[in-house]
Amino acid sequence: MARPLVARAQEAAKLHRILWISTQSQPDPFFDGFREGLRAQGYVEGKNVVFELHYAPGDPLALRKIVSELKRGDVDLAVSSGPATRAMTAVTEVPVLFALSGDPIALGVVKSLAQPGTNFTGATFLSLELAGKRVELLKDVYPELRRLAVLSNTDHPGEQSEWQATQQASRELGIEPVYVPFFGANELDDALTTAAGSHADGIIVFPEPVTLVNRTRIAEFAVAHRMPSMFGWSEYCEAGGLLSYGANQRATYFWLASYADRILRGESPAALPVVQPEKFELAVNLKTAKLLGMDLKISSILFRATKVIQ
Amino acid sequence: MRSKRLLPRGSLFIKYFVTLFIVVVVPLIFGAVGEAWFGYRDQWRRLDEVLQAEARSAAGKIQAFTDGIRDQLGWVVQFPWTQDEDDRHRIDPLRLLQQVPAIASITVVDQTGTERVFASRLRLNRIGRGVDMSTDPAILGARANKVWYGAVRYQRDSEPYMKIAVAGNVAAAGVAVADVNLKLIRDVVAAIKIGKTGYIIVVDDSGRLIAHPDMSLVLRGVASSDDISRLNNSLNATNGAAVVTTADGGEAVVAVSVSVGDPAWNVIAVQPISEAFELIRAALWRSLILVAIGTLITLALAYWLANRMSGPIRQLEDGAKRIGAGQFDYRIAISSGDELEQLARRFNGMAEELATSQQKSERIHRLKRFLAPQVAELVEHSDELLDGQKREVVAIFGDLRGFTSFSARAEPDEIMAALREYYEAVGAAITRHEATLIQFAGDGVMVLVNAPIECENPAHRAVLLAIDLQAAVQKLASTWSAKGYAMGFGVGIAMGPATVGTVGYKDRLDYTAIGNVVNLASRLCASSDDAQILADSVVAERVKDSFVLVPLGQQIIKGYNYALKVFAVSHSEIPAESFDSEVRSVEVQPNLVDLYTIAQRIEGPRLVLPVE
Repeated sequence: MARPLVARAQEAAKLHRILWISTQSQPDPFFDGFREGLRAQGYVEGKNVVFELHYAPGDPLALRKIVSELKRGDVDLAVSSGPATRAMTAVTEVPVLFALSGDPIALGVVKSLAQPGTNFTGATFLSLELAGKRVELLKDVYPELRRLAVLSNTDHPGEQSEWQATQQASRELGIEPVYVPFFGANELDDALTTAAGSHADGIIVFPEPVTLVNRTRIAEFAVAHRMPSMFGWSEYCEAGGLLSYGANQRATYFWLASYADRILRGESPAALPVVQPEKFELAVNLKTAKLLGMDLKISSILFRATKVIQ
Repeated sequence: MRSKRLLPRGSLFIKYFVTLFIVVVVPLIFGAVGEAWFGYRDQWRRLDEVLQAEARSAAGKIQAFTDGIRDQLGWVVQFPWTQDEDDRHRIDPLRLLQQVPAIASITVVDQTGTERVFASRLRLNRIGRGVDMSTDPAILGARANKVWYGAVRYQRDSEPYMKIAVAGNVAAAGVAVADVNLKLIRDVVAAIKIGKTGYIIVVDDSGRLIAHPDMSLVLRGVASSDDISRLNNSLNATNGAAVVTTADGGEAVVAVSVSVGDPAWNVIAVQPISEAFELIRAALWRSLILVAIGTLITLALAYWLANRMSGPIRQLEDGAKRIGAGQFDYRIAISSGDELEQLARRFNGMAEELATSQQKSERIHRLKRFLAPQVAELVEHSDELLDGQKREVVAIFGDLRGFTSFSARAEPDEIMAALREYYEAVGAAITRHEATLIQFAGDGVMVLVNAPIECENPAHRAVLLAIDLQAAVQKLASTWSAKGYAMGFGVGIAMGPATVGTVGYKDRLDYTAIGNVVNLASRLCASSDDAQILADSVVAERVKDSFVLVPLGQQIIKGYNYALKVFAVSHSEIPAESFDSEVRSVEVQPNLVDLYTIAQRIEGPRLVLPVE
């Protein structure tokens, strides 16, 4: 547990190289969270750790090219954010940390959550399970919900499963889901136009980098079209979304740094269990509710909310 | 030689050295070992207490965690179920999820065991009559004991979960079953630090890991259970008392366990042995260093003291050896200021005494050459006796008759044997009469009486000695004549003043007398016949009352311008037929020969007629 000071000093003396792979674009809140976490672990950028950042917004294929050239000794650790993990599956010689919305077993990078058994480990956000819960919560707040627009970037691992889970939950709750898929950031505007014309009385947005980056636009769109909106992470809610339900992303990336530290100190990722979030944030934006003319004070949502934005 | 001096050997040095060393080092070591042993025991007891206290405190917190969930569940089942749904029953489980983060989902059943509400963080909530759960072990357990704790299970083989079921006070209130994510106990456990590196882990009754500060061990699920079960088993074997064992990763640790109660979990307080015995190890090192320093100091001190003791003793030994070898002027130089110095001073005194005593004995030895032993002793004590002085002495000369022809005829060993017998006989007589033997010269002997020791009536003593001499030598002469040697003995005695004292060179000192009286005695001796004792008038005058003297009339003695009166002392030792005219004719003056011849002829051997 506690390591001798000498060992710590020696580790501190070594310069570790970390490769950051993302399909997002900068500014990257997840990378900031991870970097903050490393700082908390005692790493100093430039002194004992350097980052090599690779962004290919919406283009995992571009990442695949970089990754295919990745060999042992090039970097000490690779961290893949979100869908970028898909591009990493071929990597076997470098430890890879991931933070996935979907199921890493389904992706084939780990053998089990308890014991990955490969060069991959990290965190999963259980997005699949939460997909149905999000529909339910939206209905709790807005019981009149009948037709739900589902805005989904198909360039995202497990997107289809998420859509299916949403479909199923909607059906159980007597809601008609309207699938509004798009591929990458370029198609987002078209998708929003489609959603606007879908006659939906509510909108759910799958959490993933493209929608996260464009969260303010999407939130404003929802208000403009008087649609109560449900998102995956509280960042969306802060940007004007009505509701969000999901694990705290930033906290997860912050925590991921502790695994990075352990791997840099020589632990094998094969023995580090994949972590699932146990705390889920339910964020409510009362300003947005007011704009939509909703009175959430009578709803049970307020006492259930973790975060209330006023 | 140098190294020998640097490291003195000898049993005394070693004895002192070893004794001094042991006297200091043994208590030192005993002290250190004692301190270590008691320190170890105290540390062990303290460690046990600390770990027990930490484990109990942690167990209390774990208990509070589960009790908190139990109590919260109690809220949900306070009111009986009615036919219709009411808001309270619907909302309470949702509030509970918000209130208790560890609860992942909650199921509330009514008195019939039918599910009425299901609320979850992940799955869709269900409200309204659902499945019949009346045979679910959680419902049965809660109905029987009011509270029921399920077994720990690893969801997706990773996250530890447990069901807690609570039944309401009235059966109509139903039962609430919560699925609890035990990962959140981590917050309780991670907050507990024992010392710097100690920690708390929680296991269930079958040894499954529930909480560990390193969450990844818990999330490994059953994969971690081997190490944990072993730790748990070794603790079960000691009923939870402190035990040294290995924790996950093979690290040696001290661990104690305390049971939580409900649920039947064990809280194990673990402290790595490196920290647990840090204090005692430090104390041990301290003791060891002290012992080492003490030993070094003792070594130096013992060496110095032993050397201080044995050094002077060796000096004394060396001194005694030198003095024993006769080096009496040797002085032992010890200034230790103690008994040894006093002893050295005594040794030096002894050497001085020995030197004096040796000088004395050397002198006595010399004196004994011419004095009787008792006289020599006497003279020794007063040096001035030997100083030159004028003194009235009696000089006695004796001389063998016929020795010249004997020595010409006889073999050397016969001559020496005869002389030896002669000297022994003469010497014994001189010693007997405490006279002073001046010298033996061939067959002649010179003796003094009244010098250096004065005596009463020296003339009388001298005559007695002369008679004794005659008796002794005549007795020898008779044995010699039996062997065929014809030798006689004549004596001359004279009394008068003479200068006496020691003369000579260096060690060759002789005591002697110089004066007419010596010459006279010598002449008288030369004049005397065999068995005859001739005395001068002074002697005769002194002893006339005691001895029979035969005046031989006036005689011309060589060296004297006038004739002297000569007396023959009458004694019984005159042999009848030992007369040898040849001898006499050589050494005796003609007139004396004539006298003697007449006397012999007329008086016979026993009668000496006066010549006048």
